[in-house]
Amino acid sequence: MRYPKRIGRLAAAMLVATTLAACGGGDDGGNASTPKAPADIPELTKEPLTLSFIWFDWPPAKALEAFANAEYTKERSNVTVKVNVVPNANWHDAMFTQFAARKTDFDIPILDSQHIGEAVTNGNILDITDFVKKNIDVNAYNPYLLAAYGQFPQAETGQRDENASLYGLPLLGDTWTMIYRKDLIGETPPATWDEMIAAAQKCQTENPGVSGLAFHQANGSDAAAVTYNTVNGVYGGNLWDSKARKIEGVINDAAGQEAMDVLVNKMKPLTAAGSGNWFIDEVNAAVAQGKACIAFNWIAASGGLLDPEQSTLGKTREEILGKLGFATLPKQKTDLVPLGGMGMHVSAYSSPEKQAEALNFMKWFEQADIQKKWAAAGGVPARTDALSSPEFLNAGPFNKVYADSVSRMRDMWNVPEYARLIDIENTNVNAALNGAKPPKDALNDIAKEQQAVLDSAGKKGGGGL
Amino acid sequence: MSDPVSLTDHPVREASSTPPAPGRSRHLSDRWLTVAFISPALLLLLAMSVFPLLWALYLSFTDYSATRGGPATFVWFENFTAILTSAQVHLRAFTTLLYVVGAVTLQTVLGFSIAYLISRRVRGRGVLTTLFLVPMMLSPVVVGLFWRFMLDAQFGVINSMLGSIGLGQVEWLTKQNTALISLIVVDTWQWTPFIMLIALAGLTAVPKYLYEAASIDRASEWFRFRTITLPLVWPLLLIAVLFRAIEAFRLFDLVYILTSGGPGVSTETLSFHVYKVAFLGFNTGTASAYGILMVLIVIVLAQLYMRYLNKLKED
Repeated sequence: MRYPKRIGRLAAAMLVATTLAACGGGDDGGNASTPKAPADIPELTKEPLTLSFIWFDWPPAKALEAFANAEYTKERSNVTVKVNVVPNANWHDAMFTQFAARKTDFDIPILDSQHIGEAVTNGNILDITDFVKKNIDVNAYNPYLLAAYGQFPQAETGQRDENASLYGLPLLGDTWTMIYRKDLIGETPPATWDEMIAAAQKCQTENPGVSGLAFHQANGSDAAAVTYNTVNGVYGGNLWDSKARKIEGVINDAAGQEAMDVLVNKMKPLTAAGSGNWFIDEVNAAVAQGKACIAFNWIAASGGLLDPEQSTLGKTREEILGKLGFATLPKQKTDLVPLGGMGMHVSAYSSPEKQAEALNFMKWFEQADIQKKWAAAGGVPARTDALSSPEFLNAGPFNKVYADSVSRMRDMWNVPEYARLIDIENTNVNAALNGAKPPKDALNDIAKEQQAVLDSAGKKGGGGL
Repeated sequence: MSDPVSLTDHPVREASSTPPAPGRSRHLSDRWLTVAFISPALLLLLAMSVFPLLWALYLSFTDYSATRGGPATFVWFENFTAILTSAQVHLRAFTTLLYVVGAVTLQTVLGFSIAYLISRRVRGRGVLTTLFLVPMMLSPVVVGLFWRFMLDAQFGVINSMLGSIGLGQVEWLTKQNTALISLIVVDTWQWTPFIMLIALAGLTAVPKYLYEAASIDRASEWFRFRTITLPLVWPLLLIAVLFRAIEAFRLFDLVYILTSGGPGVSTETLSFHVYKVAFLGFNTGTASAYGILMVLIVIVLAQLYMRYLNKLKED
């Protein structure tokens, strides 16, 4: 039987050839130095062009596509804007698996502020520092918003490093709003965290079937972690010492322990049974169905609460607003609130003409009048003049909450290890909230495991476990 | 038909010495024709299965990261050592073991019982079998999504039914002691029909004369089941158990949809953990080693199991 042997040899040869070819090409783009965007926008194509974004599936994504196709095409009639969406839980993976392949089907990735470090370190997005200097009026922004959505390395909270490089520009600002039932707890929102818990307790006792609180607790995305980070900030805690890259002993110090105790032992008992896997949609559903006295959610995701078709609180927007109030987060030891929202960036693997179009879109989008139109269309702008404009403040009852919260924002780490740090925090906070781990152990485990991740840089073998 | 024996003894050689049929190119011999027919499938197999496996094997000895890029540095067995000594991996292995044992045992008992009951029924057997097979035909993601709604503590139909008979709310997916049970129940709902189908094939194949002989000897129902039915169906049932165990071992989709591995990491299986290692930190080398180890474990356990099956057959 000569032929099977020959066929076997042929197959082996092909396999070796394929492997060698793959080995040879395996390191393409291996140089992770960040490519730079030109200071001037290159000549734009006159041919039909689709400018693709990638984001997760939520109302602002639909609003952006509609807004861009209505407004940007007035200036660039040959361009169609497409906002591709993926489920929130797949958002990071959807972008970074394409980055890993060194080929993207999107031109403008909308990154969470914490994703920047990973994308910059791997050379996945363009350095737009020179472009920004030449084309963007940086003084029109609150410096922290500009830093949070584009700067790497990250500066201290609330500050911008003028000498640091920029890799993105703000697309959508966001923070948490407190949503409260005016008809159940009164017109005046609680001013402190303690008052908020007391009001929720009283409301729950007086209204059977309505839970005192509703907030994010799920172990996917950054849900439970943002909740803990918010309480941690309000109670005077810190997530890390960024200069010393130290987490152990910082996040689990006395303030951190107090925050975890408040979250698990005072706030969790006021939530609905089975709410341990709630995220944005579930919290909104509880509010819309009148099942929560006080809730916390991202402002950009709160628009649906005023839709009578999705709510049992009223047959008109006005009727719903008679029952629902929106306020900035209560203060306690500090007045910190979580920074949400995202910036837009340019994929390093997009074609030159699409990169040019992406830069042109960014320049167009950051103009004062366009930012006001974006605000009127349901977006949350980042320019100071747009934030204080009637177009923004009158577009939604929660927009003033955002404007008042800007100076109080705090973000997480935007280091390359972000995805692992957030997973450690998410799973441990979720475990504490659902009784799978004592709160003190959960916090100490977060500190220990996150520190191990930061310290493991350069360790050979077994990374990621 | 002058020499039929030589044709059957050396069919290939005879075929290859046969001159090409009229109309066929002289250069297109049987040998090249064979290669031409086999090549597409062979290339597909090499590209889609063999090459990725070998590539993963190569990466498992390196510290390569798909996103960081750069050259892959050999770390030899460091990844394997780290995985085998990791407390995090041990925890996921224990969860996976609990899941596999729980799900496969429940499915085997239920599947065989249903098959046994159906096999005794003459009328409507076909319709019943088809109805029982419906869950198996659904996508696990779809199954996960609708069970997630059904098991929701606030508005799920399961708690609603429990409430109507006076029982309290159960947090099916968010409590440590119920989340894994929920996964086992959902997997059992979907895959019991698989065991049932194979058991039914075995039960149908049991010769009727054995039962007739037992009836003449006035053997009890239990005696007939214990000495005729079970021994004859057992080997087939064990093969079904093997398939299900391998499938359950690599469970990912239901965990992803129903619990995301929570609460905490209490329902994270090995496959789910590999996914996190591979895509959260993009530690491609470690994830490759993790995957290779999982394949090795399945191969070794399956081999031992097959040896047991063969021994059972010989006995």
